[in-house]
Amino acid sequence: MSTEALFTEQANDFDAVVIDANPSQAASFAKAATALGKPTLVGQLPGGLDVLDQADALLMPAHTWRFLPSIQAVKRSIDAGKLGEPCLLRIHRWLPPESTTESIAKRILPDTDLACWMFGGAPEKIWTLQSAANPDYIQFHLGFTNDGMAMIDITGSLPADDGYFSLSMIGGTGAAYADDHHNMNLLYSGGQPNALRTNQGRTDLTGQLQEFVNAISEQREAAVTLADTSRAAAVAAQVIESAQTKQVIEGKEYN
Amino acid sequence: MANPEKIFRAGVLSVVKHDYLPRAVAAHPRFELLVVADDGDQPNWVHERNQRFADEFGIPYVPDVPKAIAEHDLDLVVISSEAERHCNLAVRAADAGLHVIADKPMSTRLSECDRLVEAVQRNNIKFLLWNRNYLPALIQAKEAVQSGAIGELYAIHVDFYFSKDAGPPKGARQPGDPPINWLERQIEAHADGSDGGIGIEAMGELQIEGIYPLGYIRMLTDADVRRVFARTATHFHQANVDNHVDDLATVSLELENGIVGSLCIGRIGAASHPDIGEIKIHAIGSKGGIVITEARPEVSIHYRDQPPLEFKNKRIANENDFLLMDDFARALDTGCEPILDARGGRDIAATVFAAVESGKTGQPVEVTH
Repeated sequence: MSTEALFTEQANDFDAVVIDANPSQAASFAKAATALGKPTLVGQLPGGLDVLDQADALLMPAHTWRFLPSIQAVKRSIDAGKLGEPCLLRIHRWLPPESTTESIAKRILPDTDLACWMFGGAPEKIWTLQSAANPDYIQFHLGFTNDGMAMIDITGSLPADDGYFSLSMIGGTGAAYADDHHNMNLLYSGGQPNALRTNQGRTDLTGQLQEFVNAISEQREAAVTLADTSRAAAVAAQVIESAQTKQVIEGKEYN
Repeated sequence: MANPEKIFRAGVLSVVKHDYLPRAVAAHPRFELLVVADDGDQPNWVHERNQRFADEFGIPYVPDVPKAIAEHDLDLVVISSEAERHCNLAVRAADAGLHVIADKPMSTRLSECDRLVEAVQRNNIKFLLWNRNYLPALIQAKEAVQSGAIGELYAIHVDFYFSKDAGPPKGARQPGDPPINWLERQIEAHADGSDGGIGIEAMGELQIEGIYPLGYIRMLTDADVRRVFARTATHFHQANVDNHVDDLATVSLELENGIVGSLCIGRIGAASHPDIGEIKIHAIGSKGGIVITEARPEVSIHYRDQPPLEFKNKRIANENDFLLMDDFARALDTGCEPILDARGGRDIAATVFAAVESGKTGQPVEVTH
C-alpha cells in the first residue's frame, strides 16, 4: 500500500505515525501525517524542515542519540544540579567507514545537538579544523555563553566493524564520564587480548518511543522538537562554514 | 662519550615548589646532591623551605648562589623556585657552565624562555625541563605510535583534568572579603599537599600544567604547534577568579605536517574524579586509533573511614622521575639532547602563551618559533 493510500483510506485505523523513510521523503511524509492530526515521530531529518514549521499535530524528530542510557544518565545529572553549571563538553566519536556514507553535516548533527542540548542553547563562537590527510575527520570547538565550551572530534576512518565514543561533561561542582574505554571487557584468544565493548542494547529506541507515547498521552510537547533539529542543523552548517572559510564563526541565536 | 661511571655533582637552586625534582636527583645513583643555594635577598619563607630541605639531606644551605657554585665544583643544578625565577637562575647556572634541570612551567615570560635557550646554546650545556613523558602509559603510547600500529598520525587529543581543589570554591568570597592573594594561597597549597603555580605572578591552569599534555603531544608527534585557538574560563576556584586566571581551557591545535589536535585542561575540583583526574590521550592515524589513560597501571583501594580526599586509585610502577634522571645522565654522557630540552620547553611555553592570548581575543593565534 502506498503511503498516500494509507493516509487517505485507512487514516482512522491508526492513532500515530512513526516514519523511518529516506531523507528525501521523511519531511513530506511527516507533513502529510501531521496534516491528518496524527502525532508523528520522524527520523532522517533535517531535510525539508521548512515544510514542517506549521505542523498540525505533535511532531517529534528522532534524536535517538539523546536516548542512549549513558547520555540520559549524564543529562539527568546535569538537570538534577549534581554537576553544577555545565562548563566543558568533550566528545570523541570515531566511526568505521560503513557508518559514514552520509554527508558530513548529517554526521556531525548528533553532536552539535548534544552540545546545544546540554548547554541549553546554541554556541556563540565556532572554530573548526579538518585534516588534510583525512577528509573524513573533523574537529570543532564551540564557545557557549557563561564561558561554556565544547570540544568535539569525529572521524570516519576507524577500521571496520566497530566504533568508539567518549563523552565527558565537566560541571562547576562535578563531572560525568560516559566512555567506551571504561566499559571494555577483555577477550583472550591468543596474542594480545582483544577489547570487547559492552553495548547499551537498544534502549535508546525504546526510550525514544516511550517519550513519544508519553507526550501523546500527556498532551504535551515532546522532549525533542523541530526547533532542536533546526538548531543542531544550523550549528552543523556553521561548523562546516568555519572549516571552509577558516574563520571563527559568530553563532546565531537558535535558542 | 664521557665516563659512564662518573657521579654528577648537583646543587639545588631553590626548592620552594616541588621537592620531587631534587629528590629524584638524589635518588639516582649517577647523581649526588651537595648543596642548596638561593639568593640572599629572598623572603624568609624561601630561606625556610631551602633550609628545611638541606637539613633533611644533611647538606649545607648557602644563601648566596655564586658562592655555592664556586665552592662546590658542581656539574649541574636543579631548580624548583617560583616560576618567575626559573629562567634567571637557569641562565646564571648556564653562564657558569653548569647543566640545568628545571621545574615547570619554564617561565612566566616568553622572553625569559628565549634568553634561556640562547644561554643553553652559547654555553653548550644540557637542559632538562621536568615532564611526565616517562610515565608507563606514555611509554606505551609512544611505542604504539612509533610502531606504526595506527598508521600515519593525523590527529591527537589530550584531556588533562586534575581533580584537585585550590582553596575556596568559586563564589565563596563574601561581600567585604579581600581578594585572595595568589602567593599566600600557593604557599598554603603546598603546605596541605595540593599543587599549584607558586610565585608572585598568578598563573592559570593552562600556564601551570600545560607543559605536561603539550609535552605528550610534542613527544608523540615530533612536531611543533603552528597555530592555536583557545577558550579560557574560570569556573571552579575563587583564587583564580580573584587573580583573573583560568582554571579551565580548551585549545585547538594545528601542528606541523598537517597534524591537528586539541587540549582540554582544567583543575576541576576534588569531587570530580575518584583519583588525580581524568587524563587521557586519543590519537588517530591512517590505520586506526589508540586511547590511553595516563594513570595506568593503577590499583584501586577503598576502605572504611577513608579520607574523602584520598585518591581511591593509586598509580603503580611509576618510574618517571628515575627514568628522567636516566635520560639526563645519558645526555650528559653522550651529548644527545634530553627528552624535553630548552628548545622544546620554549616552544611549549610559546604555545601556552599563544593560547592564553587566543582565549582573550577570541581569535586564532600563530605560535612564534
